[in-house]
Amino acid sequence: MSTTIFQAKNIVTMDPNNPQATHVAVQDGRILGVGDYQQTSSWGEHRLDKSFAGKTLLPGFVEGHAHLLAGGMWKFLYVGYQDRIDPDGRLWKGVLTLENVLERMREVDAEMPAETPLIAWGFDPIFLMDRRPDRNDFDSVSKTRPIVVMHSNFHLMTVNSPTLELAQYSASSNVDGIVKGDAGEPNGELQEMAAMFPIMRRLGIDFRELGRTRDAVEAFGRVCNRVGVTTATDLINDLDDEAVENLRDITGTDEYPIRLVPMLNALSQTPPETAKRAVAIKAKSTEKLHLGGVKLLTDGSIQAFTARLKWPGYYNGAPNGIWNIAPEQLKTLVDTLNQSGVAMHIHVNGDEAVEAALDAVEYAMVNHPTPDHRITLQHCQMADKAQYRRMKRLGVCANLFSNHIYYFGDQHAAITIGPDRASRMDGCRSALDNGVPLAVHSDAPVTPMGPLTCAWAACNRLTASGEVLGAEECISVEEALHAVTLGPAYTLKLDGEVGSIEVGKWADFAVLEDDPFAVEPSKLKDIEVWGTVLGGVIHKIDD
Amino acid sequence: MTDIQPSLPLTIISGYLGSGKTTLVNHLLRNANGRRLMVLVNDFGDLPIDADLIQSRDGDMINLANGCACCSMGGDLFNALVDVLDQKPWPDHLLIEASGVADPARIANIALAEPDLKLDATIALVDAETFENHADDPLIGETLTQQLAVSDLILINKSDLVEAKAMENVSFKLGTIAPNATRIETQYASLPLDLAVGLELASSEKKAEHSDDGDHSAAYAKWSISYDRPLDREAFEVALERLDGRVLRLKGIVRFKGNDTPQVIQLVGRRHSIAAFDGAENVQNGLIAIGFKGSLDRSLLDEIFSNV
Repeated sequence: MSTTIFQAKNIVTMDPNNPQATHVAVQDGRILGVGDYQQTSSWGEHRLDKSFAGKTLLPGFVEGHAHLLAGGMWKFLYVGYQDRIDPDGRLWKGVLTLENVLERMREVDAEMPAETPLIAWGFDPIFLMDRRPDRNDFDSVSKTRPIVVMHSNFHLMTVNSPTLELAQYSASSNVDGIVKGDAGEPNGELQEMAAMFPIMRRLGIDFRELGRTRDAVEAFGRVCNRVGVTTATDLINDLDDEAVENLRDITGTDEYPIRLVPMLNALSQTPPETAKRAVAIKAKSTEKLHLGGVKLLTDGSIQAFTARLKWPGYYNGAPNGIWNIAPEQLKTLVDTLNQSGVAMHIHVNGDEAVEAALDAVEYAMVNHPTPDHRITLQHCQMADKAQYRRMKRLGVCANLFSNHIYYFGDQHAAITIGPDRASRMDGCRSALDNGVPLAVHSDAPVTPMGPLTCAWAACNRLTASGEVLGAEECISVEEALHAVTLGPAYTLKLDGEVGSIEVGKWADFAVLEDDPFAVEPSKLKDIEVWGTVLGGVIHKIDD
Repeated sequence: MTDIQPSLPLTIISGYLGSGKTTLVNHLLRNANGRRLMVLVNDFGDLPIDADLIQSRDGDMINLANGCACCSMGGDLFNALVDVLDQKPWPDHLLIEASGVADPARIANIALAEPDLKLDATIALVDAETFENHADDPLIGETLTQQLAVSDLILINKSDLVEAKAMENVSFKLGTIAPNATRIETQYASLPLDLAVGLELASSEKKAEHSDDGDHSAAYAKWSISYDRPLDREAFEVALERLDGRVLRLKGIVRFKGNDTPQVIQLVGRRHSIAAFDGAENVQNGLIAIGFKGSLDRSLLDEIFSNV
């Protein structure tokens, strides 16, 4: 029953009753008092911890849409265009030219045992101005070792000649997705799952497994810790008994720095089985492992032209995207899960998918009204204002992919959906103005995890080329910080436990070197993170 | 395709909700006739196997008394296929029951890319009663027409439930959506095994007598020819073209002049392939075909294929 009072330069509580403080008292992992020293010390005996005397405390950030793969991917070599920091704090500078990519690969190749495949990820040839690489480039790294370079969207890979041989690909291979060079030989670029399948199978590249290992789950915790996240989701997981036990085990230690919220894949069994499983595993939740939510996948992604769009469809004339579940089945699924009280997170990217999801929610709610269901549309990038109004009426939350504005905004305006619809993408202002509970997310590892970056993107809406995409959808710093703390906590029904620094909640803090309100909104993403506190336990970022 | 590794044949069964995919799967499992079929179900539905067929369950896998098996993919085609291919012995034939909104071309592409798989056929089912409504549905119409457009065989199921005139409309519409597919009217999705997964080749020792499975014998007929000489490849390919939809499926092993490797011929609907024979057993050279009783003209087939 010992009490610790943390003293900080300032504390941004996200609690309107008590927005700023300097001291927070913690007992048994929970917040006992917030205010100045006099207010917090009046509870009696305590220890004063001045570790944060020069720092700003915020509620620990909540990442409402990420994947454990964000930890697991680091098993492979990062060769992306953007800077990324790995779970152990190493800064991987973005590779700006193809020659950079190859240099980095040669360094690794020189140190790897022979025969071991060299697998890289995050590659983005559209940003490398020189030219599109082919197998010859990677043959120049090694002519004997299989080399696979996964592109950042995970839909393409470029491989070297030994890898092509593994799959017996040749000039006579006649398969969509095996790209051929001028001489008719496979040039090493493989597009989509079919063409990649034989390679992944033979080299044992298994993304599901990559997110399941102890290393991956632990690395994910470090990824979160580095960016101030204390509660994070894993937005699709098979959650069999073994996985649940593993996660309970790993998250159960004091060293593990986050509360994890994995969502059950709702498309891997029948709706009644999903409902039953979700309810059953919910009972296995702990203070640091929150089970019971499910993820439903409707369409694909906009940049891969697999999102379902309403008229007039894709700007470049690409055919409409794909359904992962028929809209008719979605209704049944949402209805069944709703009747069992299961929390739902529905992946929707295109506006037609938004419509189908809202139709399903409306059907389910008419059939079985459920107060406070907090069904959340995940990504929800193209929703228009009428859809936000409808979301409000149906009590649906929006977790928007604000990072997309920066990472893919230029492409969306130029290629995928055109400038007018791109300007309303991830419309945080529209959500808030229409009373839709709002969160923003990174979808790590699709974009790097970083709530301050997500908040920055929502405030500034700058694209990679420096354009402002849809200025009228910008939100304030305060609103953006809400969207990475209480906002996502609300979508997870954890807003009574985390998301603000209030008496009774878990003592989960992000420890920052600067006050987000004291810097220019354009500098939000540059604020350094010192570490976090989880349930009163300090987790300084490992150097 | 010059690969001579044995590979596992894959048939894809697609079709929208309610079109009869599950009924077809059950029908095939029930009439497997000694062939070990493995069915992967890609729908988040029940593993839809009639209870009396089930011998045992092991997690997502259902084993049947007749050596067949059925497994849920759990929404993850990649892992399900890896599991099937990693487990030996392989079944005789793999079937994938795709989800109602899956694009069978994406699945077919895996079989084309993966050396251990070979694409046998893509079969689509439509519900004769609801087809036109679904095809015009703005949310799923395109998805369904895409499924049909890439199929080899289209089963117009529940044909007994619609008037002749309506059936004509359905058939006409399917003809415009999928001009290269062969259409077959069925009730209760009762497609003969030989049409679903292909004809079995007769081994030299065992001159197989195909017993038409019961009630189909009225609708379908078979024809066969055997060869004791190598054929002229060019003439043979011309002969295949001349079939022009007269048979639903044709399979065979032949030798071509100047090539000692036996070649396996596969024809489904209007698509055919010729590839090096990858089986080990000694199989007699010849062809076997199945078609509608009304349009399978044995004497014409004899004429087409005796002079190659």
